[in-house]
Amino acid sequence: MLEFDQVHKTYATPQGPIRVLKDVTLRLAPGQSLALMGESGSGKSTLLHLAAGLDLPDQGTITLAGEGLAALAEPARAKLRREQLGLVFQQFHLVPSLTVIDNLRLQARLARRDDTAWTAHLLERLGLHGLEKRYPEQLSGGQQQRLAIGRALAPRPALLLADEPTGNLDETTASHVLELLLSLVHETQCALLVVTHSPQVAAPLDRCLRLSHGSLLDATP
Amino acid sequence: MTTVLTTLLSHYRRHPGQLVMLLLGLWVASALWSGIQAINATARDSYARADALFATELDQLERRDGATLSRDEYHALRQAGLPVSPLLEGNVVTQDGTRLTLIGIDPLTLPSENALGQAGTSSSLTAFLTPPWQTRVAPDALTALGLERGNAPGATPTLAEGGKLPPLTLSPALPPNTLIMDIAAAARLLASGEAITRLVAAPGALTTAPPDYTLTRATSLASPGQLTESFHLNLTALGLLALVVGLFIVQAALGLALEQRLGMLRTLRVLGVSGRTLVAALSLELLLLGVIGGLTGIASGVWLARWLLPDVAATLGSLYGADVGQTLSLPWQYWMGGLAVSLGGLLLAGSGVLWRAARLNVLSLGQMQAWRSGFRRQLTLMSIAGGLAAAIGLGLTLWLAQQPPGDGLLAGFGVVAALLLASALWLPPLMALTLKGLTHLARRRPLTQWALADMQLQLPRLSLAMMALLVALATNLGVGSMVGGFRVTFLDWLDQRLVAPLYINAPADQYDAIDTWLADRPEVSERLLTRRSETTLLAIDTPDESRSLSLAIDLYGITPGESLTPHWPLLNTLDDRPSAWAAFDNGAVFVNEQLATAENLSPGDRLTLRAPNGNETLTITAVYPDYGNPSGQVLMASHQLAARFEAPPSSMGLVLHENANVEALRNALTTRFGLSNDAISDQREIKRIATEIFERTFTITRALNVLTLAVASLALLASLLAQARSRRQQLAPLWALGVPRAQLARLNLAQLGGAALATGLLAIPLGIAITWGLVAVINVAAFGWRLPLHLFPGEMAVTLATAVGVALLAAALPALRFWRASPRALLAEETHQ
Repeated sequence: MLEFDQVHKTYATPQGPIRVLKDVTLRLAPGQSLALMGESGSGKSTLLHLAAGLDLPDQGTITLAGEGLAALAEPARAKLRREQLGLVFQQFHLVPSLTVIDNLRLQARLARRDDTAWTAHLLERLGLHGLEKRYPEQLSGGQQQRLAIGRALAPRPALLLADEPTGNLDETTASHVLELLLSLVHETQCALLVVTHSPQVAAPLDRCLRLSHGSLLDATP
Repeated sequence: MTTVLTTLLSHYRRHPGQLVMLLLGLWVASALWSGIQAINATARDSYARADALFATELDQLERRDGATLSRDEYHALRQAGLPVSPLLEGNVVTQDGTRLTLIGIDPLTLPSENALGQAGTSSSLTAFLTPPWQTRVAPDALTALGLERGNAPGATPTLAEGGKLPPLTLSPALPPNTLIMDIAAAARLLASGEAITRLVAAPGALTTAPPDYTLTRATSLASPGQLTESFHLNLTALGLLALVVGLFIVQAALGLALEQRLGMLRTLRVLGVSGRTLVAALSLELLLLGVIGGLTGIASGVWLARWLLPDVAATLGSLYGADVGQTLSLPWQYWMGGLAVSLGGLLLAGSGVLWRAARLNVLSLGQMQAWRSGFRRQLTLMSIAGGLAAAIGLGLTLWLAQQPPGDGLLAGFGVVAALLLASALWLPPLMALTLKGLTHLARRRPLTQWALADMQLQLPRLSLAMMALLVALATNLGVGSMVGGFRVTFLDWLDQRLVAPLYINAPADQYDAIDTWLADRPEVSERLLTRRSETTLLAIDTPDESRSLSLAIDLYGITPGESLTPHWPLLNTLDDRPSAWAAFDNGAVFVNEQLATAENLSPGDRLTLRAPNGNETLTITAVYPDYGNPSGQVLMASHQLAARFEAPPSSMGLVLHENANVEALRNALTTRFGLSNDAISDQREIKRIATEIFERTFTITRALNVLTLAVASLALLASLLAQARSRRQQLAPLWALGVPRAQLARLNLAQLGGAALATGLLAIPLGIAITWGLVAVINVAAFGWRLPLHLFPGEMAVTLATAVGVALLAAALPALRFWRASPRALLAEETHQ
């Protein structure tokens, strides 16, 4: 589903270049789940951005759903993202001017996979039934994150990328959101890559890798 | 694409104020612009219709002594083989009081290629030539006749004096307010007997004028379109300014809307929308807004034009003698052009934000810092662009300084535009620099330091509104001072020229008798006879060159009496005033400023004029101001004009002794010489009419000036209101830190009031520079006269107070909401942020 092969990434800064990722190689099979742990600044988010095609590596290759990302132009990468990927962020990134139901259906509409029955099912599973007409700012943090998860899963992606999906939530809410996330991932049978520094989040996943100063430790692709 | 577009547009559902501001900007910009274009289009249509007739297309023959032509004379000339055609002109008054021009023609002798021959009607020549005859009329004169288009053909409306017009036939190609009929029908209606106003001939058909006649070639007659070109250019410039100010609002609103949607843009990109699709969707959004704003703007513009057209028509009539229809006449190009300008302007205003949105990296798109850092680059670019505009302005000024006065109307506008642009572009960098310096100075006063630093943060959002305000304030001051200065100068000039309390306008052949009779009246101290004629200026001799030309000019003769010469305004004399007047009495001439400017004449130069008994070469001894006259004029002593050019008398001013019984004299004159009531006018009446014409002339200028300032004020108000919420988020932490809300509200008012005051203060020198540009360059090129520079401190103070007032009002509303918000709500907003 997702392959990183000897990927390097360096950012230029006024203080000189910073090597964020060094020789990263990993493989994620369809339906598999993987936790990526590491300290702040270890390169987790950069790896996620590269996986989503939001950025490109300096060296090495990244393959997503059989397509080499470097060979694709920006519109093609956007298409791949739209149709194959779901993304969940720590800050939710909901569209504040759209209602709950419109936010939920947004990516499915963009991918032309809007399925009314599936959306209704998701709404029910996310516990957002009855809140369809509300705006994101009228929801609690947990509700907002659930909505973000629902939006990512609405087009039934092949791979779900989650960046600290519970990082902005209290412990109880985080536990409920995680449970829901895993349950829905299982239901849709999509692969899952979660970036986190919470062992509780990493524990239920199939595999766990650690990123330290840009290098993967205990890497067992 | 639909999903992306609806997602983008959903922003306005949550922020309707921004949508209103955007549409408002577009609406006012396109309303003011298209309103002016509607006026220009209607006027041009009227000129085109007038040009198509004989007014400027035919050579004209008139009696040299100014006396009325008769049919016998016409027959004599025809029998002598001259291809002339008679015209009878007069006025008729409709029942609603509108004065229409009535022209009687003889279609059989009129040159066949003339538009009048056809005049857009298919009716037979027999119906036109034989009783009950026909009246050809343009549809826009029907309202004055109390008719609708449907019931007009064949109608015979009754005039105010009781006469009936022959059956009407519609001729859209005729000029407005003009009736055409057979000369026999016109003579009957005007009760003019055997009189003919003038004789016309095809251009070039007459090689020379017969003895006792003057021939005016069609080529030497300026068409109304040529004469009024500068007036319309002035209007267009004001319209363009309003458009620019409106587009400032649009750009401010677009920038704000995009800035607040950065998070949305990032989310959409992350969800798989390509950058290209996003820019396309944003462009589509612009197009949609442009069509809505543009169309409503054009509709309002037409309404505005309808409201202003009567004043503009009156102005063009009194200033240039150009007849402009009172009904809007708008070709399809007008509607398409209006929409194209609105959309083009919107694209121009929006291209900056689109470009920035397209260039921003998707990973930094959600970060406000990345967006804001763009502003620093923008300030540098603004400084450079401002410098460039200033350099262009300076270059044009230097070029103008080397041109003869009166040249370079477009360059004059260019200087003013460059000055405005440079000042507007330099304003944000200047404010940023000042605020930075002041923040450094106020480092020991934390709250002041915060207020100044906060203003720096607000600058990206405020700068466009401030730029619009600066441009509008400066223009308001500049144009206001020009109009005010013109008013003062014009009224002084009227006082100086109108020294006699009574003026007689009698038939030319009665003046000798009137003069003899008045010579014995004890209450009359001086009789100031004037004469008028026209001739051709053939050559000019200056110390540097001698050149030939063929220019139609007016000749005006005045009596240099004791009561007139001390007051008559002179701009420039050869020696001193008494010498100039002494020479004038002996045959030297004065020229008006328009002629002096157009032909680069100075006292001491010599003019050769065509005269009945051979050419006359005369020396110029002075130049005099002649406001409101579009023609070049040569002034000479009345007796000299009679002797050299056989000019007929045209009026007589009567200077009276103190305590003279004016009413008794007026009655005696009327009775004795059978003069009509309006043949004798008093000075107050003439001044009243002249002042009224003046006021009407500047009605549109004043209206547009006020509207432009209103638009700019709206821009500031809208900008401040649109960011009111984020302002509260800035203020909430300070309140939480223990600064009382009242103090914060005051601080907020001081911040914006101060910024507006600074902008207003900068607008004053800029306004003065614009006044200079208008009076010294643009007016000279457009009208031919230069005005003294007048400044009005009172008006400046009012303009300054307006700027500060608007800013305070705009700041007061959010401040009031902040003042009234509950502590919980404030903290919630802070948390939300």
